[in-house]
Formats: sequence, structure tokens, C-alpha cells
Amino acid sequence: MPTAKRTERRLRWAWLALAGLLLLAALSLLFWRTTGLGRDRTWEHILAAGQWRVGLDPSFPPFEALDAAGQPIGFDVDLARAIAATWGVEVQFEGLGFDGLVDAVQTGRLESAISALPYQPERTQDVAFSPAYFEAGLVLVTPAGDKLEAGAAVGAGAVGSLDDLAGRRLAVEWGSEGDVQARLLRRRFPDLVLLPEDTPQAALLAVAEGQADAALVDHISALQASAADPRLAISPEVIVSDPYVIVLPRKAPELQRQVSTALQTLQADGTLDALMAHWFGPTPTE
Amino acid sequence: MSRPSFYARIAAGAAFVSRRRGLLLKLLMLAALAALISLPPRPLVTVGPQQTVSTINPKLGVHTRLTDEVEEWKIKRTLEMVRAMGAPWIVEYFPWAYVEPDRPGQGLWQHSDMVIQHASAQGLEVIARLGFAPQWARPKDTSPLYLDEEHYAAFGDYVYEFVRRYRDQVNYIIIWNEPNLSLEWGYRPVDPAGYTRMLQVAYTRAKEANPAVQVLGGALAPTLAPPGSEWGMDDLHYLQAMYDAGAAPYFDILAAHAYGGKFAPDEPAAPDAINFARIELLRAIMVANGDEAKPIMITEGGWNDHPRWTRAVRPGQRISYTLRAFQKALEEWPWVDVVALWAFRYPAPARTYQDYFTFVTPDFQTKAIYLETQRYAHGQEN
Repeated sequence: MPTAKRTERRLRWAWLALAGLLLLAALSLLFWRTTGLGRDRTWEHILAAGQWRVGLDPSFPPFEALDAAGQPIGFDVDLARAIAATWGVEVQFEGLGFDGLVDAVQTGRLESAISALPYQPERTQDVAFSPAYFEAGLVLVTPAGDKLEAGAAVGAGAVGSLDDLAGRRLAVEWGSEGDVQARLLRRRFPDLVLLPEDTPQAALLAVAEGQADAALVDHISALQASAADPRLAISPEVIVSDPYVIVLPRKAPELQRQVSTALQTLQADGTLDALMAHWFGPTPTE
Repeated sequence: MSRPSFYARIAAGAAFVSRRRGLLLKLLMLAALAALISLPPRPLVTVGPQQTVSTINPKLGVHTRLTDEVEEWKIKRTLEMVRAMGAPWIVEYFPWAYVEPDRPGQGLWQHSDMVIQHASAQGLEVIARLGFAPQWARPKDTSPLYLDEEHYAAFGDYVYEFVRRYRDQVNYIIIWNEPNLSLEWGYRPVDPAGYTRMLQVAYTRAKEANPAVQVLGGALAPTLAPPGSEWGMDDLHYLQAMYDAGAAPYFDILAAHAYGGKFAPDEPAAPDAINFARIELLRAIMVANGDEAKPIMITEGGWNDHPRWTRAVRPGQRISYTLRAFQKALEEWPWVDVVALWAFRYPAPARTYQDYFTFVTPDFQTKAIYLETQRYAHGQEN
């Protein structure tokens, strides 16, 4: 067979294959649209009902608790309402034990869960997680006058980051994750003096009263203490991260997108900062 | 056709020999490769030399959770860490359904062998918890914790095989777990007389396999369930009902679960309170039934330090309560042989309050409770 003819024949087959593929794609799209397989029914239900069904365990103030009238209050409650407001819907809260919240979203009993829940990588096949809206991990708290930017050179008595801990007195809650991390730090700084206290509040008080150079505690305790005591400042470096996220149904891509967008909006317009200030007091690192 | 010349025939012959030699070489190489492939692989994890546990408290123990731990190095590492903490006792679960999943006598012992070999090499005394019925031993759509009396004999056979197989390594077995809870009794109303009959079968078969093995009965969940509750039966009432059903000759040791909740270990025992000292009430029932010579082994218990769970304590309280509990058993409870707390480590995070019962994280990070227990067990001052 002459070469030109063979090339022409191959080209014809290639065009036919391309046309077949295009036809298949069009038919798939048509099927997807007409059968509703590609729709986010959770998001459609939220819009149609004008309500977002959100689960929480109201036993963890200041994130969620019940007021005297038995109504949910807290940072997460306000956050859920702020997100819903960007969509023009109300929030219907449902109380549930925190251990059952993720399962309740997975099974469709809840449309979301906002309840100071940490990111759970093992559950990503069951549910989806929003970007973090709160960092609850370990932070260093230092005397306010000694506050330095992370990594900056320090003078005597000043602690800005982990690198500055050599020879310092570090207060922790005995047995806590901060205690574990501090014991690990002592391998790096053998002259680090650990001051174990019964509670994170006691560890923070030791800093405020000059008995410790820094405390390694969870961000929630740090925020609460530093808001109430101007002698304390939170170092901006997060030592061990523990982000809180919103739990969402896995097969709700539009709801996931809308929650992410809403969080970005609330961050950009200052709503998240206002909520932090309302529930924890002014953030002393700012 | 012309005949090939003499030299051509010589050359052809040489080529033939050369081709055959090449073929032979290839065959030899293939054979060597096949031999290499067929060699058993070199074990990645070895049991290692015999170790001993160093501790000031010979009653110290933990409940390990190796049932679903697949990788051998993780099993070995877990047991090494138990030994290094200073705990000479472990409680471990050996589910019947894992050994005989499809038929009686199937005998899939590989995982059990692995756990027991490593535990023995680390110098640990194993208390083996037996239960969890395979599908073939129970009606369809029932839970593995359901076992009717028709199949007690089959369970007895498993107990017999287990005790016989490990007669030089395992000296203690627990029959079933928390039978005073409906959940643990296959979602049926609990039945102390039925459990006693199970205990009788298991005890008899265990002793047939190894007369020296010590059979632990009970393993009751501490609960204040009111009479007639669908969830379970008060453990104190259940134990008395076991004695009433004639259980006394069918267990050598009482297994007890001693959870402290929010209370310190020295909080006095009371029938309407769940705390660590509640086992004193179990002991009183044993004494009242003429069973004072039998010891108690705490095969579950302890404190939880989850930040949100309503029955949890602060991490520091958990440490001080735990160490005090070990010391209390040593100094004040001569009738307690073991305090094995729940749970040393999980194979994977539970992502619930359960994670805050453990001593070590799934990735082998030691928690402060581990380090403090280790310090206590080695007689170092806090």
C-alpha cells in the first residue's frame, strides 16, 4: 500500500476515535445531569429548607455550652450562624455527644458538625473537613514585657521561641501534651528547668508571677489567661498544631465549597477576629 | 547438492557445541534463580534474647491491644515498651473467631503465636482473654459476643486447644468479658446462671488441657444498672447470682474491672458508686460466699484524661491516681495479685475519649503517664 494512502487511513481512524470519545463524554455529561448524580443534595436541601442542620456537643465552653434558657451559645454557635448568614439561611442546632458527631454527619443525620472538632485524617474516607477555623495546639506564653518575634535575637530573660529556651524555666501542666513536648525539649536543652503544675492555669500564673520564663500550654488556655492578665503574651509560633475544623458530608462538594468560601469571607471581613475577641478577649499577640 | 567441506563441518560442530553450552549456562542460571526464589525469606523481625522485667511492684500490669495489630515489629515494640515501663503482666485478647473463623479446629494460630512468643521473650506473664464467637457457632445476624448453650462445648474445645497449645507459656485465662452487660452478652438479657454454665464448660476443658492453668471468671463491668435494666446488671448483684448458680468451683481467680472515673483511688467503696475501690465490695461478696482464699486480678481499669469527656480527670490527676492505685494494691490489698490497667496502646487512634486511656500513642510516642509509671516502677522519686 502506498505510504500516503496508509497515512490517510490512519488519520481517518484517529478522527473517528476522537469523535467517539467526544460522543461518550457528551453522553456521560447528559446522564450525569439528567439523573442528578452530580448534584449536591445536601446543599440543595439547605437552600430549600432555609435551614442548616448543625450538630454540636454543648459541653465545651467557650466553644459551645447551653445558656440558662437551654439555648446553645459559644464561639462555634456564633460561627455557624455567621456562615449561614452568608448563605441567607438559619441554623438548626442539634445536641449530640462529641464522640458521635462525625458518625452522625457520615450517616446523614446531620448536615455538618461544628463542635471544636480536630482534623481526623483517618476519617477522610467517611467525611470531609473544612479548612481550619481555630488553632488549639500548643503555644509558648511569656511575660508580656519580654515578648519577641519568633526567631528574633533575645536578650537576658526574654523567650520568643523554642530556640530561646536553653537554661530557662518552663512551666507546663503535669501530664499534658505540653509536658510531653517539654520533656522532649530537655533532650535538646539539658539545662532546661521544667516546672510541672497541676493545671494550665497554674502554669500560666507561674509565668505571670515571674516564677517561670515561659509556659507551654494549649492555645485555648493561653488565650483565656492572657486576655484576663496583661502580664502574659502569646508567642506567635505554634509548637504542636491541633486545628479545629468543620465536619461535612463527603458527597456534598458544593456545601464544602460554600463553607470554605464563607470561612475566607469571615476571615477577610474581620468576623472571625471579632468572634475571637468576644469569646476569648482581645488577642494579645496583635 | 554439494557436500560441506571438512572445515565447514568442523565449524558447524563447534557452533553447535557453543550453542549447547550457552543453553546449559542459561539453564544453570535459571535453576540458581529458582533456588534463590524458593528459599524461605529471612525473617524481618526476630524474637530476640530472653528479657526480664525490672520493677518494684510485681502487681503492675497493662491491658495491651494487639489483636488487630498486624505488623510483627509493632507487636514486638509494644511488648518491649511494656517491659521497659516495668510492668510484668499483660492482659491480651485472643478471639476465638480469629483462630477458627470458618470451621471448628481450623487453627489459624499464627498471630497468637507471634504475640505470645514476643511476650514470653520480654519476660511478660500473659493473662489471655478468650471469647468472640465465630459465625459458624452462632445464629445468623447475631453479634460475635452471642453464644448460646448449644455451642458452649465448641467454645470449650477452643479453650482446650488454646490452653494445650500454650501450656508452657500461658498460665492464666479469662473466660468471656463483662457478661453482666447486655452488649457483651450478644444484646440479650444478661444471665448469670447461663454464664456460670459457660464457665463450667470452659473451666473443665481448660483443666483437661493443663491442670495448672488458672481460670479467671467474672471480668464484670462496674455498673449501677437498676434491677430489670435492659442494659445490664449491677456487678455486685451479678457476682452473687453467679455464686447462687454454683460458680465457685469453676474459677480460680476473680477477674475485676476497676475504673476510677473522677474519683481518687482512696475514695471509699460504696454500692452506689463506681470507683477504683469498688473491688473491695466484690471481695466482700467472695468472702461471704466462703471464697476468701481466691485472689482477684484487676484485668481492666484506670483513669482517663480526655479534655472533654465528663468522666475524665486532669492529666496530672491521672498520673497521681494511677501510681497510687498500683501502690494501694501492693500495700493494702494482699488479695489482689495484678493491677492491669486499660490500655497500653491502640494500633490506630480511636479519635474518641478512648485514646486518653492509653500510655503510648499508636506511633509509639510515650505519654507522661508512661514515663511516670516507668519512674515509679524503677523506684525513682518523683
